[in-house]
Parts: sequence; structure tokens; C-alpha cells
Amino acid sequence: MKAFRYARATSQANAVTLASADPTAVYIAGGTETLNLIRDGLLAPDLLVDVNAVPADGIAWGRDVVRIGALTSMAAVAGDARIRTRLPVLSEALSASASAQVRNMASVGGNLMQRTRCWYYRDAALPCNTRIPGSGCPAIEGENRWHAILGGSEHCIKVHPSDMAVALTALDATILIRDAQGERRVPIGDFYRLPGSTPHVETALPRGGLIVGVEIPSGLTRSRSGYRKVRDRASFEFALVSVAVSLDMDGDAVREARIALGGVAPRPWRAVEAEEAVRGRRLDPDVLEAAAEAAVRGAVPREHNGFKVELVRRTLADVLARIGGKR
Amino acid sequence: MDGDADGQVSRRQVIVAGTVLAAGATVAPAAGQRPAAAATHAVPEVVGPGEVEVSLRVNGTIRETAVEPRVTLLDALRDRLRLTGTKKGCDHGECGACTVLIDGRRAKSCLTLAIMQTGAAITTIEGLAGSERLHPMQAAFIERDAFQCGFCTPGQIMSAVGMLAEGRPRSRAEIRDRMSGNLCRCSAYPNIVDAISDVAEGRR
Amino acid sequence: MTQSVGRPLNRVDGRDKVTGTARYAADQPVAGLTHAVLVQSTIASGRIKAIDTRAARSAPGVLGVYTHENLPRFAYRPDGYTFPYGQSLVPMQDDTIRYGGQHLAMVVAGTPEQARHAAALVEVDYDVEPPIIGLRANLDRAYAPPTTVPGVIQLERGDPGDGLDRAEVRIEAEYSTSINHHNPIEPSATLAVWEGEDLTLYESTQSMSFTQEVVARMLGMPRERVRVVVPYLGGGFGCKGFVWPHTYLTAAVARVVGRPVKLVLTRAQMYTSCGHRPESVQRVRLGASKDGRLTGLTHHVISHTASHDLVNFTVIASPQAVYACPNLRVSTELVEVNLGTTIATRPPSGPTNEVLEMALDELSLELGVDPIALRLANYTDRDPATGARQTRYLRECYELGAERFGWRRRKPEPGSTRAGEMLVGTGMAGSFHNWHGMTAQASVEIDTNGRAFVRSGTQDIGTGTYTIMTQIAADALGMRPSSVRPRLGDTRLPPAASSSGSATAVTVGTAVREAGRAAREKVIGIAIADPRSPLHGAASAAVETADDRLFLKARPRRGETYRDVLARHGSPVEAQGNADLANQAGGSYGAVFAEVHVSTVTGEVRVTRLVGAVDVGRVLNPKTARSQAIGGMIWGIGMALTEHTLVDRRLGRIVTANLAGYLIPVEADVPDIDVIFVDKPAPDASALGARGMGEVTGTGTVAAIANAVHHATGRRVRQLPITPDLLLGPRE
Repeated sequence: MKAFRYARATSQANAVTLASADPTAVYIAGGTETLNLIRDGLLAPDLLVDVNAVPADGIAWGRDVVRIGALTSMAAVAGDARIRTRLPVLSEALSASASAQVRNMASVGGNLMQRTRCWYYRDAALPCNTRIPGSGCPAIEGENRWHAILGGSEHCIKVHPSDMAVALTALDATILIRDAQGERRVPIGDFYRLPGSTPHVETALPRGGLIVGVEIPSGLTRSRSGYRKVRDRASFEFALVSVAVSLDMDGDAVREARIALGGVAPRPWRAVEAEEAVRGRRLDPDVLEAAAEAAVRGAVPREHNGFKVELVRRTLADVLARIGGKR
Repeated sequence: MDGDADGQVSRRQVIVAGTVLAAGATVAPAAGQRPAAAATHAVPEVVGPGEVEVSLRVNGTIRETAVEPRVTLLDALRDRLRLTGTKKGCDHGECGACTVLIDGRRAKSCLTLAIMQTGAAITTIEGLAGSERLHPMQAAFIERDAFQCGFCTPGQIMSAVGMLAEGRPRSRAEIRDRMSGNLCRCSAYPNIVDAISDVAEGRR
Repeated sequence: MTQSVGRPLNRVDGRDKVTGTARYAADQPVAGLTHAVLVQSTIASGRIKAIDTRAARSAPGVLGVYTHENLPRFAYRPDGYTFPYGQSLVPMQDDTIRYGGQHLAMVVAGTPEQARHAAALVEVDYDVEPPIIGLRANLDRAYAPPTTVPGVIQLERGDPGDGLDRAEVRIEAEYSTSINHHNPIEPSATLAVWEGEDLTLYESTQSMSFTQEVVARMLGMPRERVRVVVPYLGGGFGCKGFVWPHTYLTAAVARVVGRPVKLVLTRAQMYTSCGHRPESVQRVRLGASKDGRLTGLTHHVISHTASHDLVNFTVIASPQAVYACPNLRVSTELVEVNLGTTIATRPPSGPTNEVLEMALDELSLELGVDPIALRLANYTDRDPATGARQTRYLRECYELGAERFGWRRRKPEPGSTRAGEMLVGTGMAGSFHNWHGMTAQASVEIDTNGRAFVRSGTQDIGTGTYTIMTQIAADALGMRPSSVRPRLGDTRLPPAASSSGSATAVTVGTAVREAGRAAREKVIGIAIADPRSPLHGAASAAVETADDRLFLKARPRRGETYRDVLARHGSPVEAQGNADLANQAGGSYGAVFAEVHVSTVTGEVRVTRLVGAVDVGRVLNPKTARSQAIGGMIWGIGMALTEHTLVDRRLGRIVTANLAGYLIPVEADVPDIDVIFVDKPAPDASALGARGMGEVTGTGTVAAIANAVHHATGRRVRQLPITPDLLLGPRE
């Protein structure tokens, strides 16, 4: 681990001032991701800006939005009684993430900024277009059991690892960013970039920008929602595939659906066509089948991850049926 | 940061959550409460990359040590404070052997920096009980043979104590899920559940 | 008198382990310590064109950077694969690279952070050659090595071709198993301290004696000048059984640096520095008569091995040892690849046992007989090779396990039980492992306070050696366990062999018993010769000992305590014990029963019940033995469902070299586990009546789970681990 300087920011403003002054600066909150990245030589900041003393904590239930401070811990969100009952997809996704210790430490903002678990990215000795633009992507022809079937490019087939971001995608969340110009709001669908020919550009976060919170439309608290995560091990593992669904029902029929997939794409994957397939319909077997099919339309499986196509189909059909089924 | 470090021009700098440390030396802050310096728009001081004097409150005692900002809490405990009960199994937060309590909550000490924990109350396996008596969880681990080689054990015990503080588990299945952040390669898992159940249900 | 052996004594080292006071190799407080980090090859085949250490050498705190260009030559180089060298390739002696992760440089600095950072600054320029990686991709390179290659078996009994031809029912199938890594939670560590010409090594090793031998030889120094200390060991499972280069490299570098040096391998380095279980492809043919009796069996095992170290560690034991089959062939082929050396992995014969037990399950379905009935139809209590009768209670294992599990209620048709989303299946399999006795010495000293100190230069890898030494010594002396203090983990103690091969308890225990009995005799001799003793003048055979007392058998009240005798005697009494069980070997047996739930949606498999019934002879401590048994069975869950090391075939790099990618079971993967010990003595195995148990309990579970998955789903997965993707067939 390279030596670095350290400062403890005390306000959003001075955090941003500190980080903006040094192009290598990195924020640290829970530390559960950043320290591994530095330790493994994937990040090499000269300055670490500790934002734990910045006031950006807690869950506020407003009339139009639920606002979650970026420094709220994963455990605090997962365990919040109102989140559990009104936004179960979020609570379930967080509870299925990482380990209890990490959930105590890690922040919502840091969770959104997790980097891919692609093992080629994580090994500084190997080529990787996300890490070193133009160095190549060994995953495409290599060990790609965990890699993307949707949204990848010939330059990168990484998978975004966050469960919470998948749930937030199904909740139409907005990410609140503070930078030198002030505060701005970015819909989560615009926050994460697909790799295309620039896999090293991963988010819409400007240099020195700090995530200060997340907003969820409070109307969604009347929706039914749920999360299912598929993995080899029963706990403490990233998703092979995950599905987040939020449904507004009109009797037996779906009025509005928000569906997001995890473990399949370089960003939390909003399955728009699958949403269209169920909108205005009853969740009969043929509709579930159509939604499952729509979710994987255009999938590009590789040598070892073809199973994800079928796994997405089945898991999505199951979650839709479970969430939208008669109560 | 406050003015305590002003005038320090030596290679070693000082970082303290000044007021909190002075007042909080014997009183643990409430869980989750951070030693927030007064919110200010003044740009905080930057320290390092050389060694910085930090005060860590470990097992109820203030320990002064000099560490570079890059030193993890785990390495500070083991290499600087000679508290080697906390183990390093992976240094990436993937095994749980380095679990300690920070302000009463279980955390992986390889995933945080020592300098970030100035002012926090840190409890390691060495400080879980007095020098003579065992914590009920320690006694339960012995009685249930909830370990073999013992290397992951300090982390398991700290995690188990932290888990019970988060809320009483309603089932063995729940214990299993909530303890899945601590790997045990000797695989004493069922015995660990037995030990925790004993303590949770007041059998110890 | 109360026997301690056979009782569930709590671990005597438990308090140290739960309070954090147990010191492992990396925990030793040594003054003036410096820290080493290894730089490893990022390519798998080729040579070093140039290695630039300038930036590393000038980094803050760096005391030295050592490579093949400046490290002194070692005094010895093994000529091919040789026990107890982990590998024959001696790194940092020349510029050739044979595998990814080969050590290329060692950086020493004042703090761990400085050393880690400087190691990242070492720049290596390579001439890269394409590596040979992957067993399946290179099956055309397979060849049958001679049986002089360790672990290679080419065995024929009867006429297997004819036996298969005559069979009324035959099955033939190919199975494959994956690379596995041991992953003890304690990474390997070496702490080397020189004082003049004397070296002390605090080492995480399963064998201090091997470490002493190898380090002395590599450094060209007398064995007596190397002291190895390992009071606690954080698991080994085979990867700390032999002596790997990082150990002697650290010792050599510490001599050059002139200060104590500590090296702790990183988790990633644990995947390339201390061995792995090789991948295997196994072809099995079974033939049987309609009543289930095996008429022919062939088991062909193809494994990879390091191109620089020919050895087969897909150990083949069960096919030729467990069942009565007159016509059989067992054969081995190897494929040489650019990976580090392979090594025993708990349990080394597991992969072949599991495959045979999966094939038997297929045969039982083909025959339409119950899996237990099939095994009973081929039951023998004789060694199938020699015909010699053995103490074997495998039949009892089937019966006890089946009873506890409720096997009789099982509906044999696959796919016949469903609970909501889950298909429920049950399966069983046999367990078998060979154990080999070893040699050990021990001493027992009784001090003038009447406390006994039992010493042996063995290791406690977590199996409970401290505890059973205490129990066995207590019984031999007639003392309470609380009066006995065990010491181990130092080559200054009476020498003992390695902690491996399921041999420690039996071997060390035998030596301890000898020493304890001899010490007891001495004390009795002192008492009966002492006019002040109530036992004065008694025949020694008339004296009994129990509960710290010596007394007359005929008049138990007449006697005195060990303390009384020794206090008068005024000086301690010591006696030695010796065990040479090097010619003792045999099998331990068992049966495992598993229930699984398989999701019809996702293919995820979760084990919901496990019952193991094992015959390991006499059980010395049912509490620690049970822990060892559940541990072995949980290893089976990992091998069956989640554990596999992936290697990029073009880069030759292990891509899952961490505990987030290589998935060992976590608490949530593990159900409650029932362990039943037959617990009958095996006098033909050892005087203690005990047999090896460390590894047998690690066998059988994998096949029981795989067979249960088939029973649940009707799908036969012949590849391990059985991950969800392998169970996603056509949708229902």
C-alpha cells in the first residue's frame, strides 16, 4: 500500500474542497472497498479524505421522497423498520449483501461506488481495460463464469457487484451529488455508464464529487417489491444473478413495473422490455414467460456464463409471480 | 481538526479528536456516535504521509502510537500495540478473523485505518473479559468445542458478541446467516451455533 | 478409577484460544523484527529478462531486496520430487519460471507497510512462453508414469476385462473433480531469528522435524543448530505438511539482513506457495451380477501435476481396498502443467473415494437395489489384496447411520419428493481412508509438587493433540487430567513425526502412554523403597494409581499422593516413551447420509441434513473427535458444492486466489450434523485401540451429497463442484 496523506473532512463543502484540490484524492467512508482497492494497487491516491465526520447520515421520510444520507450504514438501512415494511426490496437486497460486519461499516454512498469484482480487474498484474485503458480484456476469452451477458462490449464484460444499487434501480432512485459547483441530482439510470469503448469511465460522478444521499419517490412505498439473489454459497457472496422487482398492482393486473437485474451487466440492469411485457397484464404463465424472455433479449453469453440467460429467466419469473401473486 | 496539532513541524504529526478524547477517556460514546469535530467550513488539516501520533482507545485504555495514515487498525493492534489476539487471515474482509468491536459494533479491523478510529472505543478479544474471568461467550465456546485450531476464534467470539448486541436471534438459521461473515476452515460451524445459542438463551 | 481417555474432556488449550493469548507463528514478540514480502511471477512459463529493484531498494525503510542475482546459493537442491520438500524447484537461484506465483524476490523493510509498498515497486521484465494449463484441454498429453513416481498406482487383480464381460449389469462413466486449495485461515508464516550460528524458526508447520531437516540441509548447517517452534498452528490440512521454499528463503534472507525477519504469505500467495489438490478426470467401469456382486471394476485416474514435480496427489485408495471385487484394475495417468506443485489435501484420497461412491450409486439404480444393499453385497472384512482379516465395523456404520437418518423411509425413485420450490433428495456413500503410523518420542516428568509434565515434539494442528496427550498421560499415571501439563511445539522436546496421515493421536499417544507408564513405575519404585511411605515394602505389582494417588490394590485406603512421594524424594522423576508405528497402516471406515434441497427455480443446492457413522477404533475424546468429524464432513460440503480454483488458461494465472472467489463453506451452508462413532477398539491398529480419524471423516460426504442431488432431481452431475448452473436443465 502506497503511503498517502489523510484529512478528516467535517462538512460536505470542505470534503469537496479537499478532494477537488488533488486529482488523485479518494474519499473514504466505511473503508470496506476503498482500502482493498488501495491495498491491491488498483487505486493509488496521494490523499485520502475521510468523510465519516461529514453530516450526511440518517433516513428522512418526506412527503414526496425518502431521503437516505450517503453515510448511513448498510445495516442501518437494512434494519430500518419502515424500510423493511415499505421498501422490502431495498432491505432484502442489503441484507443479502456482504457480511454483517461489512454492513455495519459500509456506507450507502460507498456501496454505490463499489468497483467490479471481475477478477481480472482485481488483479493488478493482469491487463484490464477498466484499469488500464487499451490493455485488453482477458475475461472475454478467459474465465468468465461471473461476467456480463448484457450491456458488455468487446472491451469489457464486467459486472457491477452492488445488490443495493439493483434494488435502487427498481425504485427509480435519484443520486444526490455534491461537487465544487454545488448539489446536483442524477437518476440512477444515468449514473452508471456502460463500458462501450471507454470502460474506465464508470459513473457520472465528476472529479471531486461526493455522493451525499439517495432519494426514492415515496409513492413507491405503496408498491409491492422484493429481491432474490442467486449464488453458489448460501451467504456472504456476490450474486450470480439477482432480480429486484417493484410492482404497482391494480387488482390482479400490473399497473406499473420496475424490474432490475444484478450480476448480469456492467451496471444494475433495468429490464425495460420485461416491464413492458407485464404492464397492464395479469401475471399469468404466458406473461411471465414473455417477461422472462424479454429480460434476456439481446444477451451475449460467453464460454462459461451462458447459464445466466436461463437463470435470469427463471428467477425473474419466480420473483414476479411471488410479488405480484394473489395475497 | 482543532488547533492541537498547530506548531507540530516534526515528521510525526498529531491527530486527535481533541475534545472527545479528553472528555471521553473513560466513557464510551454511544454506539454509532462518531467523534465529529465541530462542523466548519474551514478546510481541515492534512496529515501524513509520515507517521502521525494517534490515540486509540482500546479495551478501555488510551494507547498512544505513531502510525502512518495507511496503517490499518488491524496492523496497528497487532504490530504496534502487540495485541495479537486479533488475527489476520486474508487482509481483505473476506474471512472475519480480524473482527473487533468498534463503539460496540462488530467490524473488520483490516477494513479500516487506525487513524480513522481515533476517539472510537475499540474492544478486542483481550479486552472482552477481565484477566481472570471469561466472558460467557468465551466459556460457551470452550464448553461446546466451538473451534479446533483456534485461529478464527477471536474473530468468531467478537462477532458473536456483536451479533447478540444487534438483537437476539430468533432461530438457529438466523444465527447461521448472521454469523456467515466469519469463516472457520476447521469447520466448527454447528458447535459455534450451539455456543451462541447457549449464550442467547441464557444457558451460560 | 475414572479413565480420562474416552471422556469428552474440554480442550485443555481452550482458554488460551478463546482469550487471544495463544500465540501463533506471526504473533511471536521478537525484538528488532523486520518484515519480508515476496514478489512472485505473474507469468506461468518463461524466464526473467531483467529484474529492476532500484525503486524498491531506495523506498523508505527498505533493508534489502533479494533476487536470483544477489541471494546466496543454497547448499542443496532436491533431485526431483522428494519428501519432505514441498517442491523440488528452488526459487531465486536462476532466471527460469515454471509456474505463476513462483517466488522471484524478497523485500525486507522495517515495517510491514514499507515492505509491501516496496515489493510493488520491483519491476520484472519477462520472456513469456505460452503455458500449459488445464487438464481437460491437455488430455492428449496424458501418459502413464511408472509406479516409482510417488502416488502412482498401476494395479491389476484377477481379470478385470473378463469380469466386466461376464457382468449382467454394467455402468461406465467419466467424472471430473476440480482444483482445490486448503485455505487454512492462518496464512503460512515464518519468523526467522539468528543468534550467531543458531537459527530459531517460529513456523506455521504441521511438521517441525521436517522443517528442521530441510532448512538445515538447504542452508548447509547442522540440524541441531535449527530450532523450530510452533506452539499453535492455525490449521494446515496438508498445505503445511511439507516444507516450502518461503521458509528457507526467509531463513537465508534473515542471515543476510542480520536481523529477525517475519514473512507472512498473503492470502493470494497461499494459492501458489504451498500446493494444491490437482484436478482429475476419472473413468470408472463397474460390472455386477444381478444380485449386486461386483464382478469387475476399473478405475482410471488422470490428474495434473507440476511440470517440475512429478507426483500424483489424486490418491487412489478406496477402489482396491473397500469392496470385495475379484477382478479389478486401478491405473494412473498424469498431465504436466505449468502450475505449482500439487500436494495432499484433506483428505488426499477423497476425490477417488467420492467418484467410486458416486459410480456405485449409479450401479445401484441400474440394478434396482438399495445403495446400502449393494454395498453389503460386496462387503468384506478382509483386506481384498492380502485376504488378511481386519477389525472393521463398516456394517455397523451402515446400520447406525441408516437408523439415525431414517433411511428406510426413503422412496427410491428420483425426483419423487417436493417441498414447495424445493426438490428433496437423500443419498448415502461410504467413507474410507488409509492411515499410516509414524514415530514419536515423549517424556513425562513429575515434579516435587506432584504435577506431571508431558512433552513431545509434535504439533497440535487443532485436532486436540494437547488434550489427548493430557488424557493419555493422566490415565497412564493414574492422575487427574488437571494435574497434567502438556507441552509440544518445540524441536527441543523429544522428537515426533509430522501431524498428517491421520497418525498423530495414535502415534504420539502411544509414546505418551509408554512414558507415563514408565514414570509411574519409577514413582512406585521410589515409594515402595521408602520407609516413610505407607506403601513401603509392597510389591510394585500390588500398587495401583488413580486420582493422583498411589495405593494398594487390595487396600485402596492405604496409600499416598504422587505429591507426597515426590516431595519426600526431593527431585523430579522423568521417564521416556517411544512409539514406532512406522509399519502400522490400515483403513478407517464409515458411511455418510445426506439430505439436500435443490431449488427448481435456481438450481441452488443446500444441504439440510448430514449423518456420519464412522469406525475409527476407540475414540479417545468424543468431544474433540466429533469436532474433527463434523469438520471433515463440512469440507465435503465445500468440495461437493462450492469449491473450485479457476486458472486462466492463457495467462496461467489463478483468478480466484482469494476467499471471495474461492468459496469455502460459511456458517449458512452448514446444517446440524449428527456424528455416530462405532467406538469399538481396533487392537490390530494400535495398543490404544485407536485408528486414524482425521481424514476418513472427510470422505463420503461429497458423494452422499452428489447422490442426494441425483435423487432429488434425477440429474446425474459427474462434475465437482455441483454449482447451480449444472442443474439448470430444461424448465419444468
